[in-house]
Order: sequence, then C-alpha cells, then structure tokens
Amino acid sequence: ATACDITLKSSDTHPEGYPTVAAVQYMGELLEERSNGRICVEVFHSAQLGEEKDTIEQTQLGVIDLNRVSLGPFNNIIEETKVFSLPYIFRGTDHMHKVVDGEVGESILNEFSNHGLVGLAYYDGGSRSFYNSKKPITSIEDVEGLKFRVMQSDVFVDMVSALGGNATPLPYGEVYSSIQTGVIDGAENNWPSFESSGHYEVAGYYTLDQHLIVPEVLVMSKKSWDGLAPDDQELIRDAAKDSVPVMRELWAAREKASEEKVRAAGVEIVEDVDKTPFINAMDPVYEKHVKSDKLKDLVQKIRAVE
Amino acid sequence: MELVVLFGTFTGLLLIGAPVAFCLGVSSFATIAFLGLPPVVVFQRLNSGISVFALLAIPFFIYAGELMVRGDIARRLVALAGAAVGHLRGGLGQVNITASVMFGGISGSAAADASAIGGLMIPQMAERGYGRDYAVNITVVSSIIALMLPPSHNLIIYSIAAGGRMSIADLFTAGIIPGLLLAVALMIVAWFVAKKRGYSTEPFPGARAVFGLLVGALPGLILVAIMFGGVRSGVFTASESSGIAVIYAIAVTILVYRSLPWNEFVAATLSAVRTSSMVLLVIGSAAAFGWLLAYLRVPAELVQWMKGVSQNPLVILLMLNIILLLLGTFMDMSPLIVITTPIFLPVALAYGIDPVQFGIILILNLGIGLCTPPVGAVLFVGCAVGKIRISEAIKTIWPFYFAAIFVLMMVTYIPSLSLWLPSVFK
Amino acid sequence: MVDFVLAFSRILAVFSRLVLWMAGAGLVAMTVFIGMQVWGRFVLNDTPTWTETSSILLMGWVIFLGAAVGIREGNHLSFDVLLYVLPRPVVKICHSISDLVVIAFGTGMIGYGLQLAATTWATTIPNLGITGATSFFSLIFGGVLMVLFSLERLLRRVVGLHTPRFGDDVIEE
Ligand code: NA
Ligand code: NA
Repeated sequence: ATACDITLKSSDTHPEGYPTVAAVQYMGELLEERSNGRICVEVFHSAQLGEEKDTIEQTQLGVIDLNRVSLGPFNNIIEETKVFSLPYIFRGTDHMHKVVDGEVGESILNEFSNHGLVGLAYYDGGSRSFYNSKKPITSIEDVEGLKFRVMQSDVFVDMVSALGGNATPLPYGEVYSSIQTGVIDGAENNWPSFESSGHYEVAGYYTLDQHLIVPEVLVMSKKSWDGLAPDDQELIRDAAKDSVPVMRELWAAREKASEEKVRAAGVEIVEDVDKTPFINAMDPVYEKHVKSDKLKDLVQKIRAVE
Repeated sequence: MELVVLFGTFTGLLLIGAPVAFCLGVSSFATIAFLGLPPVVVFQRLNSGISVFALLAIPFFIYAGELMVRGDIARRLVALAGAAVGHLRGGLGQVNITASVMFGGISGSAAADASAIGGLMIPQMAERGYGRDYAVNITVVSSIIALMLPPSHNLIIYSIAAGGRMSIADLFTAGIIPGLLLAVALMIVAWFVAKKRGYSTEPFPGARAVFGLLVGALPGLILVAIMFGGVRSGVFTASESSGIAVIYAIAVTILVYRSLPWNEFVAATLSAVRTSSMVLLVIGSAAAFGWLLAYLRVPAELVQWMKGVSQNPLVILLMLNIILLLLGTFMDMSPLIVITTPIFLPVALAYGIDPVQFGIILILNLGIGLCTPPVGAVLFVGCAVGKIRISEAIKTIWPFYFAAIFVLMMVTYIPSLSLWLPSVFK
Repeated sequence: MVDFVLAFSRILAVFSRLVLWMAGAGLVAMTVFIGMQVWGRFVLNDTPTWTETSSILLMGWVIFLGAAVGIREGNHLSFDVLLYVLPRPVVKICHSISDLVVIAFGTGMIGYGLQLAATTWATTIPNLGITGATSFFSLIFGGVLMVLFSLERLLRRVVGLHTPRFGDDVIEE
C-alpha cells in the first residue's frame, strides 16, 4: 500500500494502539522522513504473523524484517538473555533503564548477531506483579498454597514454587475464566495487561512486588540487514534508538491510564510490601538457573549498576 | 499476482479432487516460492498451527462422541427423547430433534450427531410410515444444533483462529439460546410438514415410563452437567473438559452400562484417530494459508473495500452472511472457519460487531453449509445412513433450510440472543 | 509387476495398522495426561507442569500418523463434484496428480522438517528439558509415511488395482 523502495515488514503480538506498536510505527515515520520516502515500515500487529516464538524464526529466515518481541522466548536461544528474566534482578524500572542503556545492555544486544538477528533497541515491558482473587498478599506467607498461572518457563515455575505457591501453566486465553471459576487463584502481569485482559474484574487483589521487569527488544533480520547499504543501516539503527524515549513515554502513560482504571474499579492494591523475604526466597532459583560464569558475571554487573 | 497464484493453485487442486489439507498446503507453498521467500515457513506454520493446547478438545470430543455411540449412551438418550416428545404431531420427527439437543450437547459434532441419531432414528421412522426423505431432512438439519450447544469444538477452532484471545466459556454460553431457538424452529417446521403429510403421533407411555428411561439415560445427561458445570464452577478449563468427557464416557460405558467390549473400545479409539487427524491436518495447513493471507494484507484490503461499499453494519453483516453461505455450500466447516475468521473477523470488528456474536453467526452459517450440496459432510452422512439419494433429500428439505436461515437472521440482527447469557454469568 | 505391488501393499497394510495403533495409543495417553493434570491441580494442589506440553507433542504424532494412514485409506476430505462429470481416464489422471501433490508436500514435510529440527536443536522446551527439535519429529515421520503410502497408491493405479477414495472400504490385502 506504500510507494517506498524498501518496505520493512514488522511483527508485533500486541494490538493496534499498544505502546510497542505505536513506537515501531513512529520509528517508521522517522525513517520515511529521513530517507526522503525511500524506506517505510509496515507493522503487522495482533500476532497476525504468529506468536513470538514463530515470528522469531521467521525473522531469522528473513521473511519478516523487524520484530518487537519479549526477551522470554529468547531465553532458550540466547543464554545471556536469561539474566533479564530472573526474579527481582532489577530494583525498579529506573534500574532496568540504566542497565539496558549501559554496558550490559549493549553487550547482550550484540549477542543477537550470532543468531541471525540484529538487536536494535530495548523497549519497556513493564513490571510484573501478582494478582489474585483470594486475599491481599502482604507477606510471603500469604502466597502459600495459592495457584498462580505462569508462562511456560522453568524459571517462572520455580519462582512461584520457591515462594510457596502452586505454579499452574495455562494458556493466556483461559486465565480470565479460570480465575473467575476458581481453577486458579491468580496470575501475574503488568498494569496494562492486568487491565486490558479484564483480569482485574475477577482478581481483586494486586500486590506490587515487581518480581519481573523484563525488557523487550526490537530486532531486525540479519538477512534483511545485510541487504541494505551501510547508510540505510545507520538510518534504521538511529530511528530505532530515537523511538525508545517515545516508547517509554507512551508506556508510562499507558501504565498510568491502566492503573487509574483498575483503582477506580475498586481493586485492592498492596503497594508497600516488604520485598526482602521474597528476594531471599529466590536463592535456590538463582542457584539452579545461574550456573555458568557468564551469567554469574552478568548478575553481578547488573547488581553493581546504581 | 501473488493472490492469483494462491487462490488459483488452491482452486485448481481442489477441483481435481486433491485432499483439502494438501490444497491449502501446496498452494501456500507455491505462493511462498513465487514470492521468493523460504518455503520452510509453510511447514513451521503447519507445525505451530496444530501445537495449540485448546485444539486438544477436537480429538477428545470426537473420541467421546465415538465412545457414546458405541457404548449405549446415545441409544438411551434417544429412547428418553422418544418417550418424552413422541406424542407431539410428527412424533418421531420431534423425537429426532429433541435427541439432537441432548446428544449434540455432549458430542459437539454435527457429523457424529447425524450418524448416531440418524442411525437409530431413521430406520424406526421409516418403519412407522414416515417418508425417508422427511427422516433424513430432520436428521441432517437438526444436527446443526450440536454445533451451537456447548461444548462445540468448532467454537474452539473459531476462538483459536481469532487469535486465542476470546473466552471459550463465553463462546460456549453464547451458543445456548441460538441452539435452542434453532431446535424450536425446526420442531415447528416438523410439526407443519407432518400435519400436511398426515403423519401419526406416538402414544405417550406415561410419566412412570418416562421417569424410568430418564434414570437409564441419567449418566449420559450427567455428562452434560459435568462438562458445562465443571467449566463454569472451576474444576477444569474448557479444553480440559473435553478430556474429562472421554474419561467419563469410558467410565460410564464400562462400569455402569457394561456395554463397551475391548474390540469396540479399540474401534472407537481408531475411528477417533482417523476423523480427528483429518480435521486437524486441515487446521494445520490452513494456518499456513492464513499466514499468507495476513502477509499479503488480504483482510486489511477487504476491510477497506467493504468500507467503500457501505458504512452500515447491518448491510455488512448481510453481505458477510451471503458470502459465508456461498462458501459453505462448496467447502467444509473447519477449513472454512480457519480460513475465513482472520479475513472476516477484522471486518466485523471494524463495524463494531461483537466477536462472540460473530462467532455464533459464523458457526450457524457454516453449519447450514454442512447440509447443502455440493459439499455437505452432514448431508452425505444423513443420506448414507438413510439410504436415499442426495437429490431425493434435497427436494423436500427446503422448509428446514428456511427455518435454519430464519434463525441465522435472528442471531445476526439481535445481538442479545448470543450476548445476553454470557453477560449473566459474568 | 502386479505381484510385486501386492506384496508391497501387504507389507504396508501391516505397517499402517501398526501406525494407526500407535496413534490410538497416543490418544489414550493424551487422555490420561489431561486426567492427571486436573487431578494434580484440583485434588493434590500440585499441578504437573509437563502435561500440557507433552499432550501437545503427542497430539502432533496422533495427527501426522493418523493423517498418513488416512492417505492410504483414502479418507481425507476432498471436493469430488467435478470428478463425477469427467470421463474415467481423466479422473484417473486427476487422482494421480492428487497423489503426486501429496508426495510433493510429504517430501517438503521431511526436508523442511529436518531443517526446522536442525535450527531448533540447541533450544530446549520449557518444563520438559528436551530439545526443541522434538516438536518436528512427528512432522518428519508423518512426511515419510505420506510419501510411502502415496507411492503405493500410484503403483496400484498403474497396475490396475483398486485404490480407495473417500467413502470406500479399507483395502484389506
Ligand atoms: Na455441542
Ligand atoms: Na455444503
């Protein structure tokens, strides 16, 4: 539908209007303007081209040029990315921003080039916290015996077990009715997903423990990348970097809007939970999943970032 | 040009009688190759398309249906229906429809319904002087009820084709009123046709006899309660309920009815494998086909085009219904759900139509397609079981088509028929 | 030649029976897994995390094995309307083209399935700990069976033996 010489096809699992989708579209506008209309971006949102695991493979094959994905699916492909999926690895969103903007972030972004991809930028994925339909979680004891839906990942299953909960892998689409009917007691997610999925309608207690702050990445297919002139590569890299502040702004606004909606619905929010026992409970999880020196080193570096 | 390759290859292969799954797969392959993209994507989509947890419901419901037919559950449900409504005008016709409501509520498969109830009812009806065409017509059209009442694996296919972000429990609940409405509409038509042809009624066997049959059929009826109640009360999820249905059907037929010998169990298992693998292979290759449609922006272009035609959602719904009815006459249901949902759902959404209601419209519409020539799996089954030619059945089936289309229009233009009940459960 | 094809058919008949039984056993195992999942969560309050992924993997085997046997038995969904009006020799050609189409696609399942398995070899499936390539094994094996069974159909047609279509009885020899 465009008259550009080069149209980059980009995939996203989120719907139109979501911050990540809007950010990539913004990046496309920048590119079109800076290349005098030669390069455009076409975003296939709402998982039209498949779920993240599949679109990653398609990007590696060069069928898709750009892809906005969570780091989770990369955990089984690129070892270094695991470090961002560790529970309580970041002290907060600011800490996460400092890490990904700094040396650690750069070094992990470079790892993608060994897997047929070019890492362009980090986006925000929000901070995930627990919600449930049973009771406000104010201490680690409250987690005991609750059934939480988690994503299919060993780390997340072990995390919930270490906290004393019952980790229950379930397809995302079944979570709403499963909480409503009591198949499970709760799940965990960030403000926007908690709100847009409607889970706040059935899970009245949200505890801001921020156990996971997993950034997302914008990657490009190495095949498509190698087919471009160095100048165009530079244009793309810059446009991607320039879309980050816009993305963070959009994300913050979205988070705020979701939070207001959830609060207005009367969900009980536990804000000042003492995270120390939660963090201490993670020792066996770190022991099991941070084995290589490479990962141990990364964990130390991240913790050292002020 | 890519679209010409895609649809051209697909239609060409379809016309020479290649299996639908391979028409979809090979036309996708040809188009990918034409675009100069790596064909491995087709096989990735095929594999991912079937690696979906919610799809487990399809082999399970088909398996449960097989077990119920071979293990006496279906026969007892029909006997109960016979005692309960046989005394109405068009007696056994009414029984046939009522049995579809009871059995269809469990099996979720129109073809299973037509073969199970048709196999039991059509010979009985012919013996009692009903026209074979009448018996087949009722068997065929009333089996659409099975698609509407929970559980319906076709609604699960729809929810997956829609991106898996829709509550299956809501979709199941939404189908109940339209399904019962269809049953009532068909019973009225059956009544009129029976009156015109002068068919008799069955004697009412008395409340005591009905009660006895009810007790006998209770394990089968409890299955409906377990599956719907289990999902609604939180013992298991919608996809799990199908697996539970299989376990329950095995338990009842072996422990309570003692009517499932080993060789019948094996036959049921192998038959379920044959049927479900066929359906699921189509779903897998349709995932590849659907990927190409999205990649080539077909849905987006269609929305643009439709917006140029009309701004009125009522007109758009009518157009979608006509297109779907036409497609449904030529193709089977599950491939059509997977192919058309990614194309038409965005159109419906763009006009503010609720995705749950659209799902019910889609299933009912394509369900009618199952009963129409040239390609109508249920019509074929009905005619095979009833031992009449398709042309014979078609000659007198019109009043029943009319009733089904009337209900389709009601469901299309009265959103609350589908959306009210789920909202009650919220 | 006819004798050779009949011998080949007899071997494949046993083989396809075996494959169908394997798929049936897979379906029963899937049922058991789902039962365990519900039992674990609802009764023991300890959800097994391997059942979901394993059931999906098994379903892959049920589908591809069952679909391959479906090729041999000729019971896939197809559109036969045009074939009714065509003269018999033309119909035979159409059937043969259709078998070739299956062979082509089956070959693709093998070749590209191997490629997918190779690229995912180093990855692991969460909560099972086995290589991600596992999910493509059924695709590859199903492809092999489809090619084999379609070759049988072509051979039978060449030597003038009956090849089943949708609705026919299963070949027993
Ligand atoms: Na049903
Ligand atoms: Na039809």
